[in-house]
Amino acid sequence: MPALSPAGGVARFLGRRTVLPGLLLVPVLAFFIVWNTIPTLWLLGLSFYRFSLTSGRAPIYAGLLNFQNILNDSGVWLDLSRTLLFVVSGVGIQTVLGMLLGLLFWNSQRLPGRRVALTMLFAPMVLTPVASGTFWRLIYDPTFGVLNAMLRGVGFSGANFLGDSSTAFAAVLVVDVWMWTPFMVLMTLAALASVPKAELEAAEIDQLTWMQRLRLVLLHHGKYILMLGILLRTIDSFKTMDLIYNMTFGGPGTTTQLVAITLYRRAFEAFNMGWSSALAVILLLISIAFTATFIFVLHWREKAEA
Amino acid sequence: MRTPWQEHAYHAVLWLVALVFFAPIAWIILSSFKTADQILATPPVLLFRPTLDNYVQLFARDSFLHQLFNSLFLSVSAVLIAVAVSFLAAFSFSRFKPAGTDFLMFLLLSIRMLPGSAAILPVYLMYVGFGWKDTYAGMILFYAMFSIPFSVWILKGFIDGVSPRFDETGRVNGASWLRIITRTILPQVMPGVIAALIFNFIFVWNEFLFNYIIGGLQTSNVPVALSTGLYSSGGVDWTFISALTTVYLVPPVLVVYVFQRYLLVGMTFGTVRGEV
Amino acid sequence: MTIQPPNGAGMNRRTLLTGAAAVTAAAGLTFPRHVFSQTEKGHPLAGKSIRMAILGIAGWLPSKLGVDMSPDFAKYAKARYGYDVSFSFADAPFGQLFQKAATSLATRSAEYNIIISDSQWLGALATPKWIVPLNDIIAKNKELDVEWYAPVVRQAYQTFPDGTANRYGFPQEGDTFALFIRKDLLDAPGEAEAFKARYNMEMPKTWEDFEQLSIEDYTKLAEFFTRPDKGYHGAAMQYSREYDFISCPLLSFMRSQGGDVWDPKTGQVQGIIDSDSNTRAMTQYKAMLKHQPPGAINYGIAEVIDVFTQGKAFSAWQWAAVGKAMIPASMQGKVMVVPPPGFKQADGTLKRDYIIGGQPWVLNAFNDDAHARVALDFMKWWYLPETQMEFAKRGGNPCDKATLSTAGFDELQPWYRTYKYMLPRSSDFWHDAKYSEMLAVQQEAFTAYATGQINDPAHALAYVACKQQDILFDSGTASKQPSGACSGIRL
Repeated sequence: MPALSPAGGVARFLGRRTVLPGLLLVPVLAFFIVWNTIPTLWLLGLSFYRFSLTSGRAPIYAGLLNFQNILNDSGVWLDLSRTLLFVVSGVGIQTVLGMLLGLLFWNSQRLPGRRVALTMLFAPMVLTPVASGTFWRLIYDPTFGVLNAMLRGVGFSGANFLGDSSTAFAAVLVVDVWMWTPFMVLMTLAALASVPKAELEAAEIDQLTWMQRLRLVLLHHGKYILMLGILLRTIDSFKTMDLIYNMTFGGPGTTTQLVAITLYRRAFEAFNMGWSSALAVILLLISIAFTATFIFVLHWREKAEA
Repeated sequence: MRTPWQEHAYHAVLWLVALVFFAPIAWIILSSFKTADQILATPPVLLFRPTLDNYVQLFARDSFLHQLFNSLFLSVSAVLIAVAVSFLAAFSFSRFKPAGTDFLMFLLLSIRMLPGSAAILPVYLMYVGFGWKDTYAGMILFYAMFSIPFSVWILKGFIDGVSPRFDETGRVNGASWLRIITRTILPQVMPGVIAALIFNFIFVWNEFLFNYIIGGLQTSNVPVALSTGLYSSGGVDWTFISALTTVYLVPPVLVVYVFQRYLLVGMTFGTVRGEV
Repeated sequence: MTIQPPNGAGMNRRTLLTGAAAVTAAAGLTFPRHVFSQTEKGHPLAGKSIRMAILGIAGWLPSKLGVDMSPDFAKYAKARYGYDVSFSFADAPFGQLFQKAATSLATRSAEYNIIISDSQWLGALATPKWIVPLNDIIAKNKELDVEWYAPVVRQAYQTFPDGTANRYGFPQEGDTFALFIRKDLLDAPGEAEAFKARYNMEMPKTWEDFEQLSIEDYTKLAEFFTRPDKGYHGAAMQYSREYDFISCPLLSFMRSQGGDVWDPKTGQVQGIIDSDSNTRAMTQYKAMLKHQPPGAINYGIAEVIDVFTQGKAFSAWQWAAVGKAMIPASMQGKVMVVPPPGFKQADGTLKRDYIIGGQPWVLNAFNDDAHARVALDFMKWWYLPETQMEFAKRGGNPCDKATLSTAGFDELQPWYRTYKYMLPRSSDFWHDAKYSEMLAVQQEAFTAYATGQINDPAHALAYVACKQQDILFDSGTASKQPSGACSGIRL
């Protein structure tokens, strides 16, 4: 790597190609080292220690004990599999629904007030998750909630969506779908925009059915864009925390406890830092795997387009 | 071609979809003009005499304006720093491809992929060690750090799209690199800069967890205020929640409205271009 | 009354008089004159200006009162010690307050000078030496050695570890469970007769009747007043997973029937919390859901306030601390506060051993000398009989013997008679550094059972016992390892 450290005589080197690239990187590297490298090493180190912030004792070296404990902790595995279920079903529904709605909005250029309508459609994405989570609690409330009032209005008996362990997970999922389907709509519209004009016109002339358009036009040309969308959603969904924490705190029981919440509780409610660091390291490895896949798809697209 | 009726029906359906997605938010906004009893009334009240009391009370809270200021100050300064730093880095990555570019880009991205509670844990421990908790500098620089990966990714993509010939012409004419970067490249990648600015802004604006953990009395933002101010002495404080949410929603929604064409770039790390 | 110019600071006569007038006016409201007659000379902070930060519980009236009344302290401090003090406040709901305090204290920060801590946290705050040990301070300042109304006050709000003489907290607010009853529904014509016809027993009417009420008979009452068609149900209790919301009433069911949660001496949990009688208490507590509004499984403190004040519940189990919020203007005259039901013992007597609520003040160990001094002055002011009485008048719950024994105390607030009755019948659960981890496990298991995620109460308790035993063994508090049956146990 060419000189990363601007060792003296900054001005003299400014014009030289070998130094300039490194110089430009100095701020980013400074950030990277202070806020990423150091904390990550700290995290790695601590994951080998027994350390509780409230014990008043110094960390004690414990080898792989924390990792062993996590591996043997069925609760964590349940949380991880629950997270997986949340990601797969959430992203799945959002993708299908997003594609359908995207297709629906395809020819919307002449929609009166289109910009306002799209803003309304996209608004759930930019609402603070803390606020949406909290307010959905009220919407779902069996006594005061508007949803149950509507259900009762049309003759259903209403339900305690967030309180019943059989419906809580689905109820939380619905909110996630509400919040993020617009994103897949956006991606679908982008995918459609990448389809050559000629093919669109051909599809119009050939009077293709929706299914055919979906398969032949959208999936054929837009698959990379959609794939990126799905991946970004997968990663984000894996991180979900604020939204659910403010809706159910992971309950009732553990029915909506995703792994990010587990980690949060162990780290910042129980202050068991050693154990939590170990779990964070495991999550870091998972994230790196996600990132690798994302970049792989990017390259794949570049090759396919080249 | 569709008949005008079909066209109308089609547009009605589109509007219906938009309204369905907006309905919960509309309900929040509506609630903010109700009294506490009206919010909890069953069946729900649709017609009522709107009151501005909730807003009056919200702004009368001594801490609210401070927290609103924090939200704005933290997000704007963090994002400006991040985009400036990222622009330089992206330029370097794009033009000189120093060894390790791919690896660094990869590492930068994986930071963003980590669940928040895992990302903040070591930073918290570090802040405990260094005494940086609840300082503006500590908060802003951390948010900047968190906004950098995203910005580098977006900007690199855009700078890649600007032909190196511009640089060369500049060099031949004796312009300094600084001049080339600021006068030649920057104007051409403005859409990327804007996308990076607004999406990081929305992220920091809405951010709760980091602020909650490494912020404090002095630096807490509005989402933290919301999460910790849920309860009044008379139960859950729905009037406060709805009024505050409504106020807080305005900037990001305006951003989505005004910068609709940057939405796509912004939400995909710049990996997907195009307009909706 | 005379006021000495603080340390000869350059105050002219005019300011002094204005100040004195203001103080007198305030004193007329709050303090009798003698308080001011003993102005201290040479207070080290005289003439200085100090800013104090208090961290308290959001939406918690007694906590807020401590804050609301602090300007009185400022006047008092100015007059008596000659320094200016102003306060800033931060608050967080129960479920988040400990995090907020701990994340700050772990940085050795004096961000919050005085913290309102929940009683169970004493261990977690004292073990890492984040809060000031009080034995020496109390020994030097006799006015802080207050005589409490019941021994539990000292045990719950001051002592750590359990059973020692070490003190860490100053009781801020005493709190117990109380049963809030809709008197208007109870007294409606025809109800008593209908009740008698249906259950062949007299309907409880008075405070004394409720004192004699067993949980079985209370359940009848709750069943009787469950009328979904009229929009209300018989009871509202807490089942939420947040913080300790389901634990407090459920552990009260357990303790009142002879069960317990652990042995504080040996740290033993297994074999204690998973007893048969505790298992029955689990079933009992879940069964109460039948008589509650459909959302009860999510109820925490705030939700119970909402349903009760909106007229959706005939009775509510609630902390005395939120009495003011439970009886808003719209409910005035319609509500009676009585002791929650007793539990029949083998000998036929009724027993109440409920979980205590309430919070102590704790002092940040990282305060500099000036702030530590002001915090101490604040505590001395807090326990002045006048301050405590003012606190009571505003609806806080004092717990010193003098105030609670004042003639007419019971009538000051609708819930005071019950509060006073329940205080000696209440007890706390673990004060241990690991309390939050133990609580999380327990909340998880209790709500898992209550919501039907798992169906076997014995299994839920076995899970709690295993996990808590493990936590305590790991931290060195428990001498025994979890038994073999614990390996791989899951909800």
